[in-house]
Amino acid sequence: MKTLISKYDQLNWVIIHGRGVLNTGHGSTLTHTLATAAMLSGRESYYYMRYDDSPERDNIPMIFYTVIGNPRIEITLHEEVEPVGEIFNAIVVMEPTILISQTSQRALLFDGAKKDAVLVVNTSLSPKEVIGLVKKRCLAQNWSGKLVTLRARGYDANIAFPLLAALTKAWKVVSLDDLVNALDFSGASSKAGVVRKVYSEVEPVDVRISAAEAQMTRARKSRQTCTLKKGKWDLNSYRSYQKAAAKALSYAERISAMPSWQALPPGLIEFGPLPGEKNVGFTTSFARYLRPMVNKTKCTDCKLCSLYCPDGAINFDRVEVDLDYCKGCGICARVCPSKAISMTTEFLAAEGLSEKEIVTVEDSLVEYGY
Amino acid sequence: MSKLKATSKTVTTALHKKYMWTGTRAIAEAVKLADVDVIAAYPIRPYTGVMNSLAKMLANGEFVAEIIVADSEHSQFEIAKHASAVGARTFVGSSGVGLAYAAEPIIVTALGQLPVVAIAGCRALDDPGNFGMEWNDVLTFRDHGWLMCWARDPQEALDMTLVAYRVSEDRRVLLPHFVAVDGAAVTHVSTPVEPPSKDDVAKFLPAYKPLYPLDPAYGPVTKAQHIAPSLIGPELRKVVDNSMAKAEEAIQEAWEAYSRFVGREYPPFIESKFMEDAEIALVTMGAYAKDATHVAARLLEQGVKVGVMRLRYFRPFPKKELVEALSRVKALGVIDFSYSFGSADASSVLFNEVRSALYESGSRPLLMDFMFVGGREPSVGHFEQAVRLLQRSAEKGKAEKHVLWPTLRSEGS
Repeated sequence: MKTLISKYDQLNWVIIHGRGVLNTGHGSTLTHTLATAAMLSGRESYYYMRYDDSPERDNIPMIFYTVIGNPRIEITLHEEVEPVGEIFNAIVVMEPTILISQTSQRALLFDGAKKDAVLVVNTSLSPKEVIGLVKKRCLAQNWSGKLVTLRARGYDANIAFPLLAALTKAWKVVSLDDLVNALDFSGASSKAGVVRKVYSEVEPVDVRISAAEAQMTRARKSRQTCTLKKGKWDLNSYRSYQKAAAKALSYAERISAMPSWQALPPGLIEFGPLPGEKNVGFTTSFARYLRPMVNKTKCTDCKLCSLYCPDGAINFDRVEVDLDYCKGCGICARVCPSKAISMTTEFLAAEGLSEKEIVTVEDSLVEYGY
Repeated sequence: MSKLKATSKTVTTALHKKYMWTGTRAIAEAVKLADVDVIAAYPIRPYTGVMNSLAKMLANGEFVAEIIVADSEHSQFEIAKHASAVGARTFVGSSGVGLAYAAEPIIVTALGQLPVVAIAGCRALDDPGNFGMEWNDVLTFRDHGWLMCWARDPQEALDMTLVAYRVSEDRRVLLPHFVAVDGAAVTHVSTPVEPPSKDDVAKFLPAYKPLYPLDPAYGPVTKAQHIAPSLIGPELRKVVDNSMAKAEEAIQEAWEAYSRFVGREYPPFIESKFMEDAEIALVTMGAYAKDATHVAARLLEQGVKVGVMRLRYFRPFPKKELVEALSRVKALGVIDFSYSFGSADASSVLFNEVRSALYESGSRPLLMDFMFVGGREPSVGHFEQAVRLLQRSAEKGKAEKHVLWPTLRSEGS
């Protein structure tokens, strides 16, 4: 049945992407301050964190939302916002490798974004480089919005404040004055200087990407179809769903590859891979922002890395990292007695780009007072 | 202390005396205002934010209470039960399987008539890892003598927590109280919350004076003694039954007092929207009543006579108010986040409760059950569909199918 009432049509919605522990505290400050700014300007506002994102788990992509309603409408906001359709007015990326990996719902950065969405990225990359990545990796179809890039750490150790200023400049939903009021209200008056400075310095650029330029859209093959034989579950049809979900390129495709109840075996069963095959539905590389590089000439084939890898992602017979499962935790590099493994940024390894705004877990722990 | 001042700055203008608080934070503020003596804690999402906030407040010296982090939910509810038995005002809470694990002390707390207030952050009972919102975790205890209310948003969660203490500790009642908040939808969403002042709360909720605490100063008392069923079994049940019956007037009076002392008004049992001329109605509890109301307001503009009722209490169940409100309604849809496998018509808990409340009354509208189970969240579109189906059924005088799973893939939208 066709429905006429939309839940989202009167909302201004920003989605903030970061990584667990690296960005948890700052993400919380950012969303809370923005919601407070909206509240102080007399509007209904909300902020929240998807709580299955496990912000306490290192490096896991996670999201926060701030939603500003104007005029006041009373609805319950989804904890699990399915990024399908056009929902988000603005996207903030606290950790730049999110540009080249899946986001917390194993979606792509632009899944669920409006066509004129504002994108704010904390990065040392240039706007041009970011646009290149967006075209290649983020499924931005027909995007004609605004982009701001800035090195937030250059302004303040708490990246929430510079990012807020940049967002406010590009996305006029709250004003600079509202933002400064919110800083006063939440006891962060000392950040007003930083916020004003960033606001005057950053320059949002206009971006236009047509669907034809979005490489991911072009590369997409027709969707895999899943069939349910005889109207009830059997192993082969179940595997066809698993495969289709794993191969989905966007969140919408992933949803459409989820089985109907008739296709589910009784008893909370999920089928693992057959020996020698990969567990297609459960790759874990989305957590990786640093990549282990093995120097074969230094490697003594002692197998320690393979034994220590918590994800079993390093082959025992030949030292080789399976990038579908490596989470980039760096344990292999730590235990290697001959220093044959080094961690490099995913940007450099995958795209040949040198990114300087990436922090490590060690940096962030210092930030949180450890 | 200087740091504390900076982070909890109060703005005193009438317009701005609000804070952006999550439901869990708002509840923790209520616990602080109620000046609770003993807090028993054990983490499980979505309840965890409550204990986190309380631990922070205690560490900052914002109030003084004993906080005991237990080794499991079972011990946690035991601690609350025993602390209440010796005369402390206590606070506890959990979610999902945490409540299931604590079932034994939860049940004994009610039979022991101990006015413990517990938060339930509603969460699906485990399919492992299912973090979605369902009511079955709290509703597991619907038959055991706990009072149960459902909050629509962080503001009401704060208010309900304060009122829960007053009702529970009322000498006519002395029953424990669940304040249920929908996981994520209330616990993790921040909205502007206006807390009452400490002085107003002190007037509304005086210090807890236990009736017969386990304290030698009050004379020899044994609690939860071993009993012989043939001698005293049914009589003990009847005492609880009587207390539950008395709770209705205590609740009514408590909300009147709350509006008198604090200045915020609520209808005690049922919040009705657009029910005056309604021919079709939705009934639900908790956060999603907002969505139902949003949809009803939009459909009213199109001439659909639809109203929404939000039950604020599930125990005691507001039968009288429900029957009254439905006198002119032709078709009623229950927006339900629970299930009762194998129940009459394989429907859900709230639906069965509503249906049995209406059986002997003159208000017998056509009933439809909309089961939002498994933790997948509904959208307003689902509520619109529900109204349209009710409309069609009311016209025909019967529903083709009266138990529906609107969010089930391939069945609903």
